[in-house]
Amino acid sequence: MNKLSLLIAIMLASFSAFAQTTFTLNGTVKDAATGETLIGATIRFREIPQSGTASNAYGFYSITAPQAQYTLLVSYSGYETISQTIELTKSTTINISLSAKNELKEVVISANRPNNDQIASPQMGVEKLNMSQINNVPVLLGEKDVLKTITLLPGIQSGGEGNTGFFVRGGASDQNLILLDEAPVYNASHLLGFFSTFNSDAIKDVTIYKGGMPAEYGGRLSSVLDIKMLDGNKKDFTIEGGLGLIASRLKIEGPIDSGKGSFLISARRTYIDLFAKLSKDSVVKGSSLYFYDLNAKGNYHFNDQNTLYISGYFGRDVIGLKNTFGTDWGNSTGTLRLNHLFNAKLFSNTSLIFSNYSYDIQSFLTNEDFKATSEITDVNLKEDLQYAITGSHRLKFGVDIIHHTIAPGNITSSAGSSFNDISVEHRYGFENAAYLSDDWHISDKLTILYGLRLSEMLLLGPGTFNTYDADGNTIASKTYSTGALVKSYLNLEPRFSASYQLTDENSVKASYNRNTQNIHLLNNSTSGTPTDLYVMSSNNIKPEIADQVSAGWFRNFDDNLFEFSTELYYKWLQNQIDYKDGATFVANANEESQLTYGSGRAYGLELYLKKKYGRFNGWISYTLSRTEDKFAAIDNDRYFPATQDRTHDLSVVGIYKLNKRWTFSGSFIYATGNAVSYPTGKYNIGGLTTFSYSDRNGYREPPEKRLDFGATLQGKEHRKYHSSWTFSIYNVLSYSNPYTITFRDSKTVPNTTEAVETSLFPKPIPSVTWNFKF
Amino acid sequence: MKNNNLIIIILSVIILTVSCTKVIDLKLGNASDQLVIEGNITNVKGTQTVILTKNIPFSSPNNYPPVTGATVKISDQTGNIYSLAESTPGNYTIANMAGIQGTAYTLTVATGGQTYIARSTIPVPVILDSLTDKNDPLGGSSNGNNKKLITVHYQDPAGIANQYRYIMWVNGVQVKDIFVEDDEFTDGRYVSSDLMESDIDIYAGDKVTIEMQCIDEPVYKYWFALESQQTDGIGGSVAPANPPTNILPATLGYFSAHTTQSLTLTVK
Repeated sequence: MNKLSLLIAIMLASFSAFAQTTFTLNGTVKDAATGETLIGATIRFREIPQSGTASNAYGFYSITAPQAQYTLLVSYSGYETISQTIELTKSTTINISLSAKNELKEVVISANRPNNDQIASPQMGVEKLNMSQINNVPVLLGEKDVLKTITLLPGIQSGGEGNTGFFVRGGASDQNLILLDEAPVYNASHLLGFFSTFNSDAIKDVTIYKGGMPAEYGGRLSSVLDIKMLDGNKKDFTIEGGLGLIASRLKIEGPIDSGKGSFLISARRTYIDLFAKLSKDSVVKGSSLYFYDLNAKGNYHFNDQNTLYISGYFGRDVIGLKNTFGTDWGNSTGTLRLNHLFNAKLFSNTSLIFSNYSYDIQSFLTNEDFKATSEITDVNLKEDLQYAITGSHRLKFGVDIIHHTIAPGNITSSAGSSFNDISVEHRYGFENAAYLSDDWHISDKLTILYGLRLSEMLLLGPGTFNTYDADGNTIASKTYSTGALVKSYLNLEPRFSASYQLTDENSVKASYNRNTQNIHLLNNSTSGTPTDLYVMSSNNIKPEIADQVSAGWFRNFDDNLFEFSTELYYKWLQNQIDYKDGATFVANANEESQLTYGSGRAYGLELYLKKKYGRFNGWISYTLSRTEDKFAAIDNDRYFPATQDRTHDLSVVGIYKLNKRWTFSGSFIYATGNAVSYPTGKYNIGGLTTFSYSDRNGYREPPEKRLDFGATLQGKEHRKYHSSWTFSIYNVLSYSNPYTITFRDSKTVPNTTEAVETSLFPKPIPSVTWNFKF
Repeated sequence: MKNNNLIIIILSVIILTVSCTKVIDLKLGNASDQLVIEGNITNVKGTQTVILTKNIPFSSPNNYPPVTGATVKISDQTGNIYSLAESTPGNYTIANMAGIQGTAYTLTVATGGQTYIARSTIPVPVILDSLTDKNDPLGGSSNGNNKKLITVHYQDPAGIANQYRYIMWVNGVQVKDIFVEDDEFTDGRYVSSDLMESDIDIYAGDKVTIEMQCIDEPVYKYWFALESQQTDGIGGSVAPANPPTNILPATLGYFSAHTTQSLTLTVK
């Protein structure tokens, strides 16, 4: 018998229930105070080490084991571990409530060892952020921010100051799948990148996958950032909020039908432009600059088999200048979900999802007025099933159908305007996928997670589709009727990861995954301008493909008080997209003619040391990496460093709880500067000093360094309300980090040229926010 | 359309009020001694000029060495060949010559053992109708005088692709900015277009001269690429590179056959 058939034989044997009678324990894990379900809590029987499972995105768990008496252990980071003796003589439902830990008391290591998930789980390349850490990490202007905080983790790089774009293991920022309650969020930045669209008041859980992507996720190459909104307090009606220097927020939540359901509404509005009104400069004074967003969610628990969730997000940014120009943009998403429990082992979730991103640009100038709009709309139906077949096999399978409508550009203007009315043809397509994966506990040492995802792209008519040659000339043009198939692509994406537990505190893991991407962002500016245009894979654009292998060593110390991990990765990228010189994508019907295609590679080493509990906690993360691209049209088809290639990336975060009232925090970052093209010479053209360039991205911006401090002061305990103050100082050491470096004729020495650096926040920026809760 | 530029301008105004700029010292490479060709031929009878220079290191003073002793010729599609003589070092000229609209011209430059060839066509001329000025809505004021913005007006011909380039002089000094536009969004319209710039502030009483050139598409792409790189980079710009030239084998510069017309306005 060869090895493969041996493996299959073992697998089949492990699926069949052995002669022993087994029973299933299932239920939901919740927070004792608010009734919020807890995602990713660890549930296991002490007697069967490999029985461990994690509660799913809805708090649901299921464990199957032979008839016996067990000690049930339930643990969750930041909560007291529960230990309970149970007699498993029939299949039972046990709902579990965990109480939040008081970190101050936790000086003695608890007898029940905290969970060692990171050692046992086969999943690698995954990071989970605890909301209390996000809330304590100091940030710019006191607006706590999920996207800013994840860039402090290994393998995740920030797009630089004033940019929420992030780069995961060298991938481009449009290669991140950002999900808010399962709905894709297309533009995750507010105010051109200074803040993210996620209001952390409304968020329960943040998980990012950098590698070894589980098969249930697909559609983007580099990462999945899965953000889950809070469900709303099931026990009490509460109002909380904050008043800050630039933004205020308010959250209302409470039970519905005495705890059978709950709701949550959270809103936020910035008012930076109020400061602009104080400016002496009449232009600044007359400008508007703000954003607002609204998160709302409700859920209803009909019975133990059925729970319904409805959630939505709406956000908008507005920038305007004195009756001259105005622009606004934003996302809206909605998700309707039904959890259904077929039986104790089979959990189902059906989702109907809507997502839209749109922008408007308006000019109000006489004779030059116009309004340009562009949008992308997704409607998505998804069915996900989780089947805990036996104690050692957990299957996940499902289907996913997304319909995209892209309206690339529409321009309207008055009769006296210089501009014509233009409507660029809409584009329609389906992205379909089906997946199957199995989490197989082969032995108490060896666990593998393997799966397959089949993804299909269908680009449909109506419309006229041009095919372009490498120089962007039209070589064929064909018109299709409504619903006619223009182009289809089918890709098989294998996903595999394995962990081998050497000891209780020590494991090695390896993974391989292939991801494909059929929706591509065209925006050739380096920071978050709102004029994002999305295109689907087409007769010109092939699906982007990434293959990633990674290997890692995971080690916990001191009863899991410290976690250490190191991961190595190598990624191959195919069918990458770049832009030709002078490309424009606004209301451009021939946008695909301006693209050039190439490949890339990224590799690196990540080190991560984290202290999880105690009065003092925090982490150190370091990444050594290289990211390179290769395009036939650029630099003679040689590999050149991608803009986001970052040799060194270091983050240090510390949070110290001094006493009941004061918590202090600090973070320090150091990162190699972006790879950029600087002039290597100059000449004169048309009376203007003009710069000549040699290698693409042959230079480095100076490294980015910053130290931030934060402090939280809890108000005195009151029976009716609670208040706290959050203070922060951004860039304590006044490092001047480059936002841009430009070159020009010298303003002081005639007949010479100079390089000019612009820094956004070269001085420390203090901020204070007052928070309250009723 | 300059939508992106509008956003960038708004952003610049807002961001620059909180940010800080400083001159820094950068160690830049030295890829000098490359040939720069700047060839122009217009539809107006007069001296047509081709300038040959070399590029220099970033840190050097702005003195560009002329390339002397080259053979420079311009030929048209009907077989006429015009030889240009080196009137001053690096300046190759021919007097009393006018290009003809709709005609394709070929520039041949032989120097340093290499022959460079470029082709460009003079488009059908579009008349620059008038210039007007208005208060610059983004400009603010100085001593109670509003900064002014110059607007060009012309009728774009319908049904054909047109590209335009403007050069601006304020009281005889050239504004260090590139102004190009095409008619992708304005085809067939009576167009009013603001020439926004930040080099020289314009006030009432200033004398502003605008040259309008009708240029062909490859030359438009050259200037457009150069213009997008000159944007200050607030809000981001493309990775800068040498703009796509119409010269083969590729070197720095361009050859433009275009129409030309100038108007002057005294700002009120």
